[in-house]
Amino acid sequence: MDEERVIIPIGPQHPALKEPMNFMLKVEGEKVLEAIPNLGYNHRGIEKAATVRTYIQNLYLAERICGICSIAHVQCYAQGVEKLLEMEIPPRAQYVRLILSELNRLHSHLLWVGVAAHEIGFDTLFMYLWRDREIVMDTLELITGNRVSYGFTMLGGVRRDISPDMAARVKKEMKTVRDRTQYYKKMSSNERSILKRTQGVGILKPQDALALCACGPTLRASNIKWDVRREDPYLAYNEIPFNVVTSDGCDVLSRMIVHYDEVIEATNIIEYALDHMPSGSFREKVTRRIPAGEVVSRVEAPRGEDIHYIKSNGTDKPERFKVRAPTLGNIPAVCKMLSDSYIADVPIILAGIDPCFSCTDRVTFVKGEMGKGWIWTQEELRRYANRWYQQR
Amino acid sequence: MVPAEIIEFLSVLIYPGFIFIFTLAFFYEWVDRKFVARLQNRYGPLYAGPGGILQPFADFIKLLAKEDITPRAADKTTFRVTPILMLALALSTLFFIPTAYTTAVSWFEGDLIFVTFLVSILVLITLIAAWSSTSTFSTVGGIRVVLQMLGFEIPMTIVMVGPAIVSKTLSITNIALWQYTTGHYFAIYQPIGLIVLIICLLAEIKKAPFDIPEAESELAAGWITEFSGRKLALIRLTTDVELILAGALVTALFLGGPTGPFGIPSVIFFLIKTTGVILVISNLRALFARFRIDQMLGGFWKYLVPLALLQIILVTLGVG
Amino acid sequence: MVETKESKTGLLERLRNSIPQEWILSLKAPEPRRIFLSVKREHFKEAMTKMLKDEEITHLSTITGVDLGEEIEVIYHLDKSGTILSVKTTTPKSQPTLPTVTDLIPGAPLYEREVHELLGVAFDGHPDLSRLVLPEGWPPGLYPLRREISIENIRSALEKAKEEKKVG
Repeated sequence: MDEERVIIPIGPQHPALKEPMNFMLKVEGEKVLEAIPNLGYNHRGIEKAATVRTYIQNLYLAERICGICSIAHVQCYAQGVEKLLEMEIPPRAQYVRLILSELNRLHSHLLWVGVAAHEIGFDTLFMYLWRDREIVMDTLELITGNRVSYGFTMLGGVRRDISPDMAARVKKEMKTVRDRTQYYKKMSSNERSILKRTQGVGILKPQDALALCACGPTLRASNIKWDVRREDPYLAYNEIPFNVVTSDGCDVLSRMIVHYDEVIEATNIIEYALDHMPSGSFREKVTRRIPAGEVVSRVEAPRGEDIHYIKSNGTDKPERFKVRAPTLGNIPAVCKMLSDSYIADVPIILAGIDPCFSCTDRVTFVKGEMGKGWIWTQEELRRYANRWYQQR
Repeated sequence: MVPAEIIEFLSVLIYPGFIFIFTLAFFYEWVDRKFVARLQNRYGPLYAGPGGILQPFADFIKLLAKEDITPRAADKTTFRVTPILMLALALSTLFFIPTAYTTAVSWFEGDLIFVTFLVSILVLITLIAAWSSTSTFSTVGGIRVVLQMLGFEIPMTIVMVGPAIVSKTLSITNIALWQYTTGHYFAIYQPIGLIVLIICLLAEIKKAPFDIPEAESELAAGWITEFSGRKLALIRLTTDVELILAGALVTALFLGGPTGPFGIPSVIFFLIKTTGVILVISNLRALFARFRIDQMLGGFWKYLVPLALLQIILVTLGVG
Repeated sequence: MVETKESKTGLLERLRNSIPQEWILSLKAPEPRRIFLSVKREHFKEAMTKMLKDEEITHLSTITGVDLGEEIEVIYHLDKSGTILSVKTTTPKSQPTLPTVTDLIPGAPLYEREVHELLGVAFDGHPDLSRLVLPEGWPPGLYPLRREISIENIRSALEKAKEEKKVG
């Protein structure tokens, strides 16, 4: 049956993908047999660029690895450099950073569930979730003064403190977000048309999730209780009670539920942290020269485990700065999910891992528009489409 | 004394003909957009006119002025003709359904069958339009349109027979009038039929949750992907006219058409009733996620066809 | 409140006992939950197989390649219940090759392809070492993360490749 197989390109420009990425889908009839990823449409050469910038400059570069998990990347980087300096940041700074990390997770998760709702054509939920995401964005703006790239984390602490007024306002907003998310969760797990499109779609079995090194909500939706915040605590995560949310459905619906539950957990964490914030200074001075050494730093970004490796040679510039964003870790998993799925489910499965290709494609230096344009193999898709519908 | 031909000509051209229908089309698009927007906690159209009421018209004018691109691979003649053909078909279908007056612009015994036929042709023209543009998105979208028709056409035709059996006429105008004169409104006596018809019409006018042929996240704009400029303007106008068509059909068959007491002009009743139907359609549109094409077909054949048959059985047994 | 983690020494001790001394170049734990293990290249695959099996490690966070000048260092960041075990090995820059770990860890292929593409390390036994992250038409043999390659080098090489393409 080999001649029956047709290859369909999905992307790099495809309505289901908000960012450029290419999957070659080998299909037979309406079934996807295999998905071959093709990355690299978003290269900005950040790893190379980091080696010619100072540690302070790299703070801002790290923030720009990704617009959505900006706090996570900058936290991971700053935490690594602080370890090289063998310093502990003040407790209050730890709490402020933790609150920001969780706010970051909140807005990222709400964004994702909204996108997922849009992929299955449920625009009403999309609009509602993005409206509520605005609350979180406003909160972030209240604390940092910015909406996307915050420029808030510094080596040795944070730029500004959270005042009691701000804390009261944030707490109020968290309650709203939590109440609404609980309602959306209830609705999403009961509404028939959502269940039809998400239940049993994009299955990733626990053993596959482990073998393919998946991470973050994707892994937890496959019922594996693994979270960097719990396993390898950073900041003040070991002082704060929280649940590691899992779900045992292994499908897109479970991923949705995990995201909802993590939003609820995050609001609880933020409230607890605001109540238990230690007093004191919120930043310390650091030297420009970083001692030689190497460090592996990781955080739980909204999309999963984000790991940075920094090697210092004693100057003010790092010798090697390596970033592994969570999406790259989930790509083998998404290929697994796509194999044996229906073609109409491809958008929601792709969206299911919460992909963020800006994060993933960051490795090397590309000048200008070197990436070759993509040619739509029209004949292939038409042949495929004809065959698909003939069979019905 | 103005000759009768001229009056007839003007009635086709202005009221209740083209101008009236186009105005209504833009108005109902606004109602639909605004209502869905409010349901989704958005503002919707806001700037053109009071409450954005002129926005659909502004969009239409804007599209007329836009560049009109014909893909190199397209079948040029068909590609050019189909949008006009679609609009013409939608309009002529509407002439057989009573709108402003209690009788339709044109009617004859048996126009109910003719209207079902025209509605099917409209779908087939959509397929031809999609096919002629040769883009993959359009082709798949066009095929989905036809697949969808296989799902909704049968139950829709069956439930449209229900009112005809009871009122013993095959003319939409007469069905509407019969309901008014006897006070026997089919919305009350054949509720299953009404529900099935509204769901089928949702699929016919390709609104969510049956916007499968235009599924944005899968197919860009589906079968309309390649149309731009004037052609897109016409297609969008056709969509709006189809919305009136859906509203008018439900009104005529189940709500007694543009009739009502107290000597109030019939057009007022028409407006009230169709607006009601359109609000129901808009509401459904905001409530559901999009189905997959196989789920949609399965659902229609598994649930709607039996329900439609049940309604007809009930009617023949004398209930309804 | 938070369950106690396996202390860093637990894994460290076990590794010290289970892996033969002559395979190890260095083994240290500079901070809690971080272990750096440096193994000789010829024993790398054996050590990796043994560790993955003994400690039941399934998660590979990523593979980092570092240009040390004469050699290329490849670091495998493994996760063992919250502890990052970074297994290092080196390969000469003149002919950098390493055995693949894709047969041990199904999630590794993309990381190996990345290291191959950016530093030119060939992984023996890897099913498909094709282009992953760099654009199509990237000059072959130009490994951007190597130390001697500056951003200027890359720029001129790309210009050249573009010219050649135009002529061809």
